[in-house]
Amino acid sequence: MASKPRTLPLNKRGMNFEMFMWIITRLTALAMYGLILIAIIGALIMGARNQMNIADVLRWGFMPNAGHVQSVPLENAEAWATPFWRWVGSALLLVAVGHGVHGLVVIADDYIVSERGRGVVRFISIVMMIGMSIIGLYVLWTA
Amino acid sequence: MQVTLKIFRYNPEVDTTFHYESYVIENAQETDRVLDLLEHVKGYNDGTLSFRRSCAHGVCGSDALRINGRNMLACKALVRDVGEKITIEPLLGLKVVKDLIVDMEPFFDNYKKVLPWFINDSPLPADGRERLQSPEQRARFDDTTKCIMCAACTTSCPSFWASDDYLGPAALVAAHRFVFDSRDEAAAERMEIVSETSGLARCHTAFNCTMACPREIQITKAIGELKMATITGRVE
Repeated sequence: MASKPRTLPLNKRGMNFEMFMWIITRLTALAMYGLILIAIIGALIMGARNQMNIADVLRWGFMPNAGHVQSVPLENAEAWATPFWRWVGSALLLVAVGHGVHGLVVIADDYIVSERGRGVVRFISIVMMIGMSIIGLYVLWTA
Repeated sequence: MQVTLKIFRYNPEVDTTFHYESYVIENAQETDRVLDLLEHVKGYNDGTLSFRRSCAHGVCGSDALRINGRNMLACKALVRDVGEKITIEPLLGLKVVKDLIVDMEPFFDNYKKVLPWFINDSPLPADGRERLQSPEQRARFDDTTKCIMCAACTTSCPSFWASDDYLGPAALVAAHRFVFDSRDEAAAERMEIVSETSGLARCHTAFNCTMACPREIQITKAIGELKMATITGRVE
């Protein structure tokens, strides 16, 4: 039986801000897995097998900030404070903040029905997201 | 065997709030349905007990209730499956009218929003007969044709409990049934409706709906397919 292709054009498939953010939330979750894996593998390559305990490795994995390893008796802490690790840390910070704040907004939308209420919560969330990102980036690039 | 029913009671003409009443039924059988027990209570213990029922064979969807904390049809739940102590309550998230009867209007209002009817304004085929589709095209939406609109899915959904402006699983199942029908021509309109703030994005994949469905429709999967359709645009 002949059937014509049924693919809706981009502007007719309901792709709006809600669904765009739904996709972004899924992609940022995958990105976090990748970045955390990169940080943990990097830590092991750089000698964390001998010089750090599991808590230090995990702290590095979830927030690869050179300041987190300076308190550990490392022979060479400078190896951890390269631009590469600052970029990995920055990417992980921004992805995690975006993922988490959007998650909070989605949950809040479950309980706040009015457009005005949702607008207020979204405004507060975005301000919080920007504030946390600036503080985190400041720490990462000045540690 | 002896079965104890603990039933949610509320009469708006007398009560200021709800309460529970217990009824002991002697000589119940393990193959009795919960609906049979409710009929027994209404017939022999308290004729004022109110609940919906119609076909009593799992087809009409009238008697969806919360039985021991889980949504199911009273006509399909057997004593041997739910135990000898049975708590029966109305569906969550909808206003109680009396005893086990809830106001279904918000549920049907959401259902109607997704245009749950066949839309095709093209001329009929040259032979003037029905619009044909292949078995594969029919199978694409077969699962979601099984819905009996009992509301067991929607009223088990945490997002719906929080806000009844969420379309809910049943409405999304209805949208799926027509969006993926090769003969239907209103997929774009429905996708726009289900993608609103109160639509697909409110589904947090809790899977309660899939667990609650008495027709075993893979509801969360159907909702996932609608989400994918917003990304790929493919509705075939």
